[in-house]
Amino acid sequence: MNLGSLLTSSLSDTLQVSLPLFRPELCLAATVVLLLVCRMLPVVRWLDSAWIALGGAVFAAAYAWADLRGLPGSPWLPAATALNRHELFTGLLVFDPFTAYIRLLLAGFLLLYIPFTKISGIPGREEETDFHVLLLGAVLGMCLMASANHMLTVFMAVEMASVPSYALAGFLKGRKASSEAALKYAVYGAGAAGIMLYGISLLVGVLGSFHLPTMAARLSTVLAAGSTGGVTTALVLGGLMLAVGLAFKLSAVPFHFWCPDVFEGAAAEVGAFLSVASKAAAVALAVRLGCTLTAPPLADPAQLAGLADARFYGAHLVGLLAALSCTLGNLAAYGQTNIKRMLAYSTIAHAGYLMMGVAAAIALGGTDRAASRDAVAAVAFYLGAYLFMNLAAFAIVALLRNTLRSEEIAAYGGLIQSSPGVVVAMGLVLVSLIGLPPLAGFTAKFLVFASVAQAIALGVEKPLMIVLLAVGGLNTVFSLVYYLRVLGVMIFNPPPADRVNEPLPLVSLPGAFVTGLVAPVVVLGVFFAGLYACAQFAGGFAS
Amino acid sequence: MDAAATLPLLLGLAWLAPLVSFVAILFYGPRMGPHGRNAATVATAAIVTSLVLSLLAAGVWLGNHPVTAAVAHGGGDHGATGIPGADSPGGQGPGHGGEGHAVGEHASGGHGAPVPPSYSGDWYTLYEAGGLTLSIGWWIDALTVMMFVVVTLIATCIHVYASGYMHDELHDVTDHEVHLADGSHLHRPGRFPRFFQALSLFCFSMLGIVIAGNLAMVFIFWELVGICSWFLIGFYYERQSASNAANKAFIVNRVGDFGMLIGLMALWGALGTLHFGDRTVVDASGAPVARPGLFSLVRPASTGHALEVPAGMVEFAAADEVAAVVRTTAAQGGGADPGAVAATVASRVDDWRARGLGRWLLFIAGVGIFCGCVGKSAQFPLFVWLPDAMEGPTPVSALVHSATMVAAGVYLVGRFYPVLTPDVLYVIAWIGAITLFIAATIALVANDIKRVLAYSTVSQLGYMMLALGVGGWAAGLFHLVTHAFFKSLLFLCSGSVIHACHTNDMRKMGGLAKVMPWTAGTMLVGCLAIIGAGIPFVIGTSGYYSKDAILAQALAFANANPGRGWLFGAVAGGAFLTAFYMFRLWFMTFAGEPRDHHIAEHAHESPPVMVRPLVVLAVLAVVAGWTLPGGFGLANLIEQARPAGTGGMEQGGFLFSGLVVPPEHESHEGAVHVTATLTAFATAAAGVLLAAVMYLWGWVSPHVVAGALRPAYEFLAHRWYFDELYHAIFVAPVLAVSALVSGADRGIIDRIIDGLAWSARCLAGFDAWIDKWVVDGLVNATADVTWNAGLELKKFQTGRLRQYVTFIALGTVALFVLLSFLYRSTFAG
Repeated sequence: MNLGSLLTSSLSDTLQVSLPLFRPELCLAATVVLLLVCRMLPVVRWLDSAWIALGGAVFAAAYAWADLRGLPGSPWLPAATALNRHELFTGLLVFDPFTAYIRLLLAGFLLLYIPFTKISGIPGREEETDFHVLLLGAVLGMCLMASANHMLTVFMAVEMASVPSYALAGFLKGRKASSEAALKYAVYGAGAAGIMLYGISLLVGVLGSFHLPTMAARLSTVLAAGSTGGVTTALVLGGLMLAVGLAFKLSAVPFHFWCPDVFEGAAAEVGAFLSVASKAAAVALAVRLGCTLTAPPLADPAQLAGLADARFYGAHLVGLLAALSCTLGNLAAYGQTNIKRMLAYSTIAHAGYLMMGVAAAIALGGTDRAASRDAVAAVAFYLGAYLFMNLAAFAIVALLRNTLRSEEIAAYGGLIQSSPGVVVAMGLVLVSLIGLPPLAGFTAKFLVFASVAQAIALGVEKPLMIVLLAVGGLNTVFSLVYYLRVLGVMIFNPPPADRVNEPLPLVSLPGAFVTGLVAPVVVLGVFFAGLYACAQFAGGFAS
Repeated sequence: MDAAATLPLLLGLAWLAPLVSFVAILFYGPRMGPHGRNAATVATAAIVTSLVLSLLAAGVWLGNHPVTAAVAHGGGDHGATGIPGADSPGGQGPGHGGEGHAVGEHASGGHGAPVPPSYSGDWYTLYEAGGLTLSIGWWIDALTVMMFVVVTLIATCIHVYASGYMHDELHDVTDHEVHLADGSHLHRPGRFPRFFQALSLFCFSMLGIVIAGNLAMVFIFWELVGICSWFLIGFYYERQSASNAANKAFIVNRVGDFGMLIGLMALWGALGTLHFGDRTVVDASGAPVARPGLFSLVRPASTGHALEVPAGMVEFAAADEVAAVVRTTAAQGGGADPGAVAATVASRVDDWRARGLGRWLLFIAGVGIFCGCVGKSAQFPLFVWLPDAMEGPTPVSALVHSATMVAAGVYLVGRFYPVLTPDVLYVIAWIGAITLFIAATIALVANDIKRVLAYSTVSQLGYMMLALGVGGWAAGLFHLVTHAFFKSLLFLCSGSVIHACHTNDMRKMGGLAKVMPWTAGTMLVGCLAIIGAGIPFVIGTSGYYSKDAILAQALAFANANPGRGWLFGAVAGGAFLTAFYMFRLWFMTFAGEPRDHHIAEHAHESPPVMVRPLVVLAVLAVVAGWTLPGGFGLANLIEQARPAGTGGMEQGGFLFSGLVVPPEHESHEGAVHVTATLTAFATAAAGVLLAAVMYLWGWVSPHVVAGALRPAYEFLAHRWYFDELYHAIFVAPVLAVSALVSGADRGIIDRIIDGLAWSARCLAGFDAWIDKWVVDGLVNATADVTWNAGLELKKFQTGRLRQYVTFIALGTVALFVLLSFLYRSTFAG
């Protein structure tokens, strides 16, 4: 093969296969450029950058939607005859149902998030363009995280998503707490990235490839060949360090220290972004790495059998992080007086629940592909439900901040008298976060616990899964206390003396927005079949 | 007018009018005028509408089925006998949503069994599955129409009276019987609309029982009556005694209803229907299928309406035999043919019936239904709730005690009479006799004016049950109606007295006739009516006719069953006791000198709005029993509804051998009737005389008598220790068990939960401690060190961050150690 034919084949691959499936990302990238150009040209400077960003997000979402719909085997099309898997850009990225689902989720998030920031008034008119450039850039990175198929892409995508997040955390330039949060976040992130890079280099060094399916194949042969001490230690350490990088993004215990400080210091809007979008991308990457490295798509039985140790290790590593995050997150949330700090611990706990599903998916990958698919589907569904309920929680916090001028839980006293609608909305959101029927949070949590129970029933990593189920159940009880405490303050405490008339009337633009966010929380709790069908389709990416 | 179409419409509307009032007051009561004053108007208007519609229905009924001097025995002219029931147009009648049935063709004359005219059908089917149909329907005969008029008439009087009596509730009320913790009295807003709201629901429920076309509907409204009584008896629910009484009434009634449910299940399980009347339903192929009702099943036309155990019950009881038939048929190769099995079974039902199979089931069904009636009609052993029910406002007592709640039980026994076997009737007679005697003896020594009346009600209800039990179907129901009039009169009079004296204690009354002439006069009429006063063989108050009929039937029963004559003794003794305690009440209240001058000085006649209903009821209490020339009278109207086949002699009984239930017209034969009338007159006169001797003329001091008979007096004053007994054997064990359970709940379950909560708190505390002392402590230590070194804030921040970043490395190492420690196998190489 000479250079000419190489270029030709590369060109045709890029133009005909890769780029058409890369349209949502291209839209986001183009919007970023457009935003910057608009800011420079005096003629169009008057344009509100939120509308431009929203327009780009609409296009990205439309393409993501079309991509998901157009895949054979999706809920709208007949079943696929072959696995839906297209490697893009010579294997750097992969496009499959899971990519399509997560991308749609992220684009959908943008569609809700940009109006939200517009309504809540942060950022102000001056910094708006910067904010949206950073936002779209970060989401672009997250899309790459979801579709990464190559260790380099993994690292690049994580950094691409993280760096704008650091800047967003420090966005309230006037506030010292915000700048401090940004600095902590950045430095902590840099440390985690360093460790992750170290882990990647160890893995790549032993296995001799960056390409994830190839790494899995090599790993199988290395493990099957009977390991020599040094190699195994390098693999174990590499996997662990890779996990540390992810754990940082997931704010999993014990790599969560940045999270409460950043959430408290940054604006609630940024908290919403970090807790929903950033977390969704991190979980997607964890699923991607976990499943691809321990039970790669199209693996033959011998290869799968060879990876048994890897699955054992992966499931225990993720399971351990899950149990720790859940328990410490929930317990530490008890004494918080700041609602954002409390929600930060809540996101830590929810990362734990999500990782339980990931652990189950990894463990089941070699035994029962259908059960593994359902575990991934549970996680994917959880992300969908979590998008609405956590965004709604932060939206209420941000909108209340605008009138109450406080983010302390105590400031919410007696809201039931002045603004009963918002108390009902917050109540639904918090109860959904606890995971009680008939709300979306219950369905999501039920699905995750069901896949853990499925692993127990199938006898896969039984002791670990029993521990996870017990920890999950116990933590649900723990979480009752601090979520309901907020509700209790809203209902039973007397209002502060300087309470304005009605902090957040439901019949207003902000009120309507909150209602629109809470409605899916209720609807998805009852009519979950549609989203679950999509999630199941997405979960089948490896089988 | 077409009775089959108009009667259900008129009575249906009469039944629903109070419901409309209830709903209206429920939602708009407090907004009806100042303090809801107009709620009384709404409720009264509704019940007057019902009354008018009922009277119209009665007119329609009488137009179609004129009452003639039928087999009369309660009326003044005792000569007329044997003119059978009236004509009625047969065939289908249109109804709302269901088909109507009208029956009433003449049975061929003679001593056969005349079929009373009746209409039945369904308005609305609630639920249909297999053979079970739960529906809202009607069964209308002369008894239904009469009960509608009686209930609405008395309820109207009580509504008018209550709008005066309850005027205290129009403004804030200070309840002097409720002591709060700080020693003051309870002060609460008035509840005027609430009272009339419950009253309307009460009337609606009672009328629902009366019109019900099936037992399921009876049960529904039966329970509604129960809940209404709970609302009304507990109207002053802040008073411990009132809320206890309401609970007692409710719970005691549930005991009876348990039996009723067993009866319902026996009937439905074996017969597959709860409808009284026959129905025509459309089966799957669209063909009409006749579904006989309960009455036709138990007394089919094929036997001349004589009682027989229905085939369904026989087959139910003969399960083994039916199984044998199935096996035999199967062995003969015909197992696949259910028709052959059914034919064989049908051919052998007579055989099995002759062996007595199924009669137990019919007995249980009858006794079960009667259990419900025992609860509602306050019969022994469930009568204990009725006297306590006096805690409700007096108009409620009047309503509960006369035309509604307690009447429901007697009415249901009367309605269900065709299904009751002689054995069941004998049980009923027993219960009635025991009740009437116990209650009458307790009434002798009671000093609370309303309690005397309450026990008198229980006693009179015993009379009615006994009458029904000895075959006096018409006599029992006749007494139900006349008693409704004079007992509501007596209660309203007592309410008038209490209103004037502000006390219930008769020992503080006396001499009130001078200040309250209208009340005293009307109450005297009521007393005369209840003891059955009259000029023998000439004329008398309403009670004279009904009580005579009961006595005569009891005497006929005693004659027919020589070994069971004591029942007549109970009746005669009861008549004596009735006369004594009623006139004791009247003398103590109205005659002689005032015992408490303070009360007597403040007493005054009640306002006209309260007196007028008394006069209306007093007139009715006198004339209700009269039979007009031409035969029109209540007794004959009731006789018109006599269930088919119940006029003749009923013999046998498998439990009580040799039992004979004499036909009711026999009690009008000369000798029996003369003896009965004279006995009634003599016992009543003796009772009044004794009362006068002790309480009017004072020749014998009641205290001396009580002292001489101290143990008996104590026994009666403690109401035969029934409350104590029930407390010891039912209430106390239940309380003990519940204390045990709640103790277990508190001591064990709550402990566990508290323990869980405590451990969660401990974990959280531990975590907080870690956070505070280890994490923060490290940070603070760093801060302190740096602070002490004289560095500035910036450097402090750097210190914290460095700490954080250190944790990344530490965390990684810790995880590695943990994993390698826990899962050594992974690192086997």
